[in-house]
Amino acid sequence: MAQQSTVSYWELIKNGIIAENTIFKLALSLCPSIAVTNNLRNGVLMGVAVLFVQTMVNATISVMRKVIHPRIRLPIFMLVISGWVTIVDLSMAAFAPDAYKQMGLYIQLIVAFASILARAEMFASKNKIAPSMVDGIGMGLGFLFALTVISFFRELLGKGSLWGMPIVHTKPLLIMILPAGGFFAVGILMALFNWIDTRFLKKSTSGAH
Amino acid sequence: MTAKDIIKIALNLVVIYVIGGLILAAVYARTSPIMYRNAEEQKKQALKELIPDADRIEKLGDWYIHEKHAEYFIARKGDETIGYIVQSFGKGYSSYINTLIAVDKDFKVQKINILGHAETPGLGDEIEADSFKGQFKNKDLDHLKVLKTDTTEYIQAISGATISTRAVSEDAVKNGVKFLIEKVKEGGSESGAAKHG
Repeated sequence: MAQQSTVSYWELIKNGIIAENTIFKLALSLCPSIAVTNNLRNGVLMGVAVLFVQTMVNATISVMRKVIHPRIRLPIFMLVISGWVTIVDLSMAAFAPDAYKQMGLYIQLIVAFASILARAEMFASKNKIAPSMVDGIGMGLGFLFALTVISFFRELLGKGSLWGMPIVHTKPLLIMILPAGGFFAVGILMALFNWIDTRFLKKSTSGAH
Repeated sequence: MTAKDIIKIALNLVVIYVIGGLILAAVYARTSPIMYRNAEEQKKQALKELIPDADRIEKLGDWYIHEKHAEYFIARKGDETIGYIVQSFGKGYSSYINTLIAVDKDFKVQKINILGHAETPGLGDEIEADSFKGQFKNKDLDHLKVLKTDTTEYIQAISGATISTRAVSEDAVKNGVKFLIEKVKEGGSESGAAKHG
């Protein structure tokens, strides 16, 4: 297959992490960004699970894009997403029960993520398989990055620990691990991310929508 | 939209959904026996971990809580009964929490283990933490109460997950122990075993 995409793969990945970062720029999938980020381990595991599902969903939609009737694309996207989530869920439960014990709860949550549906609609349904997969990896990495940063600060401030290991021994700010603290963390980090982006990185126009 | 379009769209949808369904069915058929075996293995392992001193753990019978099937066991060392294990369920925030509870001869809780649940990740799933489960050691029926303040006499609630804490302590464990006492103490442990064997 000839390479015809106008943007390079590196641009696609950078786009997913910075210009169209799911959480900090597009403000999609904010529910998991608050619900599962009260410790670093959860945040990272969730990010990895999303990275995988996003990539596979993008690839599948891209392969199928010519046989999907445009009027029924959304139910079919949902089928692909829930199908992949179920496949990952079942196979992990069977073949990697130890990892499943830690990640099982998050994997099922992915079905409801707006970000995955949004990427299927906006990118994968219009592009070839290779760029679609790269886009999935980029968006997934952006999501992983955002969840890692948020959960890093929330666990450090709210529990005084990182990845379950105690770091600070003063009484922690309990509110940071509660849902309210999640809103604070996401809001403040989102502002910081955008400030850094406009101030130091070159102005990105694609993040405006 | 003409009738032809409608048929085309419907067919498109049906074909893709049938294919999707078949793929999922194939994956399920392949994974479910392995999952079942894993679960059995895990249960056996969990029983052993709960009373490591026992050389035999035998099933005494079945019981039902929240309309769910659960089992209870007797742990022996030689000819002596050293404790019991009961499986129990607690109604949590978003799931029924599947719990195993080990008690000694005097029906004091020795150890608990959470076999499965679907509580909120990050908050409710703290019930799996050793620091939470460790609180149950040597608690009897009267001390299985959840407090929101610092306590060692009772069970201290996990911040942000009081409902899950209550479900484990005051529902699963308490009802499980209560059931064991009623069943075993009042029926006599040996005759109880015979009746259900």
